[in-house]
Amino acid sequence: MNGISNALNGLYDISGVEVGQHFYWQIAGFQVHAQVLITSWVVIAILLGSAVIAVRNPQTIPTAGQNFFEYVLEFIRDVSKTQIGEEYGPWVPFIGTMFLFIFVSNWSGALLPWKIIQLPHGELAAPTNDINTTVALALLTSVAYFYAGLSKKGLGYFSKYIQPTPILLPINILEDFTKPLSLSFRLFGNILADELVVVVLVSLVPSVVPIPVMFLGLFISGIQALIFATLAAAYIGESMEGHH
Amino acid sequence: MASMIMASSKPVISIAASSSFFSKPKLKQIPQLSLPKLPSPKFLKTQQIPSLSSTTLKSISLFTVTTLSFAPPSLAAEIEKAALFDFNLTLPIMMVQFLFLMFALDKVYFTPLGKFMDERDAAIKEKLASVKDTSEEVKQLEEQAAAIMRAARAEIAAALNKMKKETQLEVEEKLAEGRKKVEVELQEALANLENQKEETIKSLDSQIAALSQDIVKKVLPL
Repeated sequence: MNGISNALNGLYDISGVEVGQHFYWQIAGFQVHAQVLITSWVVIAILLGSAVIAVRNPQTIPTAGQNFFEYVLEFIRDVSKTQIGEEYGPWVPFIGTMFLFIFVSNWSGALLPWKIIQLPHGELAAPTNDINTTVALALLTSVAYFYAGLSKKGLGYFSKYIQPTPILLPINILEDFTKPLSLSFRLFGNILADELVVVVLVSLVPSVVPIPVMFLGLFISGIQALIFATLAAAYIGESMEGHH
Repeated sequence: MASMIMASSKPVISIAASSSFFSKPKLKQIPQLSLPKLPSPKFLKTQQIPSLSSTTLKSISLFTVTTLSFAPPSLAAEIEKAALFDFNLTLPIMMVQFLFLMFALDKVYFTPLGKFMDERDAAIKEKLASVKDTSEEVKQLEEQAAAIMRAARAEIAAALNKMKKETQLEVEEKLAEGRKKVEVELQEALANLENQKEETIKSLDSQIAALSQDIVKKVLPL
């Protein structure tokens, strides 16, 4: 018995597998995942810093950085407009921040050398590879589309639950739960799986072979950010459009 | 991590690893999200280790699960930390951070740059419209220029004609003058000639008488 447990202990020591392991901080008696908070602060700092530097002094003929940020803003506006319609204006910050935060988080997990910084327990990785982050974003999306529908149509918003027929009421209510669930688990699963696949391949073949998978991971990261932002916009647009 | 994954390619370890994700709630008796169909700890605890080792049909998976459930506190504590679906205060903190990021980005990025881009679009459209207006202006200016050119050409042509006429008149005058002069001189010369002719004829007449006398004297010997 002892031998087995010792062997297992040794195994865990050697492996150092960090999946599902967290570096805990205590805040007012509650536990938080410090590695997620630290990486999210870095992501926020990157976003705010680059935005401030690039947009500080806008030129009529844009410089390289400003041009890039203008392109990103045009892209976000385009996504919002396509999904929400003409009244997309007030939702651009929400959709844009959603997209940028998820995108930079995902890519930071793949591109930034977090491993340089050693934590006592757990490891630094993309903030989106923690379920707390994705669920937080998904719940905010739920709040956002409820707010959009209620502010546009008042209590008449709830009439959509019995449309087209009252028979669909349970399914319509269920949708409000499946939306954040699918949003959060899709993002979480994709990012975690991507990092695991890369790690597995690196352990099997340490050179060359994992590179295409890494690029695939970058691609998937971008796609996931776009999907999350697009779906959030679609939900908002759906709750704002008129049900006749 | 890499070595762990490499190890996990072996079936025994993979079960151990996967159960390490989910066995923690079992140990703590907390209902949690996904729970695979693992035998419950109570059932396992009722079993005796010797009986387990003596049974021939103990599978590797069952073995590893039992070892996990019998793990000493130190190992159990370590496994407990391996929680994928571990919701805690991180979630609301992330929400607050996201909202903060949204407002901050709105202040430094979305609103100012969006406003700037819209204003620039409007300015460019205005300029384009004004360019269309100036094309008409250009046409007018071209017409004016053409009119001025035409007027100038006409003026020049008139001046040329006038000058031609004047010079022609002058030339004709001078020609007429010259002709008159020549005629006068001619007539003078003619008159002179006549005079000389008459004088010569007169002088010849007087000389003829003398000559004829001379000729007669010579011819008629006296």
